[in-house]
Amino acid sequence: MDFTFSPEHIALRRMIREFAENEVAPIAAEIDRDHQVPMETMRKLGQVGLLGVCFPQEYGGMGAGEMGYCILMEEINRVCTSTGTNVGAHIGIGAMAIYLDGNDEQKRRYLIPLARGEQFAAFGLTESGAGSDAAAIRTRAVREGDSWILDGGKVFITNGGYADVVTVMAVTDPALGARGGITAFIVETDWEGFKVAREEDKMGIRGTSTAELVFEELRVPHENVLGKVGEGFVTFMKSLDMGRLTLGAACIGGAEMALESAVRWAKTRRQFGAELASKQAIQWKIADIATELEALRSLVYRVAWLVDTGQPFSQLAAMCKLYGSEVASRAIDIALQIHGGLGFSRDFPLERGFRDARIGEIYEGTSEVQRIVIASNIFREHGVRIRP
Amino acid sequence: MRIIVILGRVLDPSGIVVKGSAGRIFVNREEYLIQPADACALEAALRIKDGMAAEVVALPRSPLPDDDILRQAIARGADRAIYLTGPALKAADEAAMTGVLTAAIERLGGADLVLIGSTTLDTGQGQLGLRLAEALGGAQITGAWQVSSADGQVQAVLQRNGRYVAVEADPPVVVTLLPGARKLRYPDGVRLINVYRGVGEVGDALEAWDAADLVDEAALTPLVESRGKEFAPERERGVRASGTPAEMAQAAADALRQRMRR
Repeated sequence: MDFTFSPEHIALRRMIREFAENEVAPIAAEIDRDHQVPMETMRKLGQVGLLGVCFPQEYGGMGAGEMGYCILMEEINRVCTSTGTNVGAHIGIGAMAIYLDGNDEQKRRYLIPLARGEQFAAFGLTESGAGSDAAAIRTRAVREGDSWILDGGKVFITNGGYADVVTVMAVTDPALGARGGITAFIVETDWEGFKVAREEDKMGIRGTSTAELVFEELRVPHENVLGKVGEGFVTFMKSLDMGRLTLGAACIGGAEMALESAVRWAKTRRQFGAELASKQAIQWKIADIATELEALRSLVYRVAWLVDTGQPFSQLAAMCKLYGSEVASRAIDIALQIHGGLGFSRDFPLERGFRDARIGEIYEGTSEVQRIVIASNIFREHGVRIRP
Repeated sequence: MRIIVILGRVLDPSGIVVKGSAGRIFVNREEYLIQPADACALEAALRIKDGMAAEVVALPRSPLPDDDILRQAIARGADRAIYLTGPALKAADEAAMTGVLTAAIERLGGADLVLIGSTTLDTGQGQLGLRLAEALGGAQITGAWQVSSADGQVQAVLQRNGRYVAVEADPPVVVTLLPGARKLRYPDGVRLINVYRGVGEVGDALEAWDAADLVDEAALTPLVESRGKEFAPERERGVRASGTPAEMAQAAADALRQRMRR
């Protein structure tokens, strides 16, 4: 087994860290305070090629594979979870759905500007009545000549307020249910009938746009069907698998930030005549964060390697998301505790990190749903079918 | 226009912890950066190239154990880089490097402009630019903040006695750049991946030349040869201040004042 990063991935990490520390870290507190999406930073990420990190060069990407994408998510989330979330929703699910199931023409038309940061993407799956139960969506698409007419809406759509392109799941044949009755569409947000109804006011990741989208007689050309009619369920499951892996990578960044802050504080803060670092109660906490972080890192980069070598990874992606989000939450909770009252203050980034980390256990499938997925796969191997 | 940029590397200071009480430097992360002043030189070269037809070629300022900073230069926009190798190069000092670099520049077909950092972050070395100007027989402009080229000439802005001075010279010119003069641009993602994979339009941009093919062995012999044991310089210990931040600042100012009087 080889656990070393290639020279190109080491160089890529260095490039991303340089970008993250110069361009992302200085604005992290400001975009959280002002509830602003860092559009200029997002464009800069595109200009240097990072928004196409995992896509092939022929489609405007960098060609650094899933390994490169995980490095990007780790390093950006290490300094700002909001920017990391914008990037993740854009690459990991919005553009990824087009990359996974788009035809050559769709990839040339949509993926290239998305990879260059000239346009931004979102992924439209969740509805008010279909959160964890994603297959229960009700947005309807009806064929009319060479077009489809979409009616319905989506909620909690990350990047929804500013995306140029949204990959939307809609029911095309209610009689067939999720498998056979759902189709994926590429929707341009300036088409008539597309409306951003409202923006969520959130507890964390406040430098992101989480929007409610409404479709009213939205006409989508048939050529914008993503994949085959009736196979949208497969498209969104494949996209979510990729998204879950990279959310695990994002959580490495969050946990790393927590560990670095905790160690720095423990070295400098003196109580009862000695540094906190000399206290066993603090040492054990640091050891716990570091151990879980290393276990998470090993899991995530192993799964990235499986993706890049074309091996099955769906089950492990759910584990990345589940374990990663819980490790990051625990790490930030512990780091905040080590900081005491100052950790609770908005003057320190841990307060923001604490609020930001909470969403990790909720979006793109809650921890409970990940456990159902993991257990279902295990029991299926033993001939037992579990229904959520 | 051919612009040669001379680049060195330095251990990333953010990966180092200086522990005064133990009298040691701990290297937690061994990563190397382009020397900050050399990075300014590279950015100056790329800016000239942004505005006119120019070829930017990167060369090392000293023997390098690997070609990483040269690949970085290509990823950031240099057209070519030459990795100078060979066992004879290992002991080369500034005088020997001047000879090797001069020969390399001649093999490249000469240079209109040579850009190099005015000093190195770790050793404070700053003589290579001056030696190169002498060896190439061109003008030298030292300690520049800005460099540009127009009408077949090289223009530079220097800082002298708190004021800025604009100067110009006919090629070939060697210009040394001050650290902090320019922020080096980010690498281009595709170039970065391809230069490490050795594919695409930058696939052949990095070449390795054996120094022995450029100059004879005598020219590579250092002027000063190291003999005997190396030893650390004797240093007095630092002063540890305590109290409130204001008291510590006062103590630091007093200590500095005393040291300056000495």
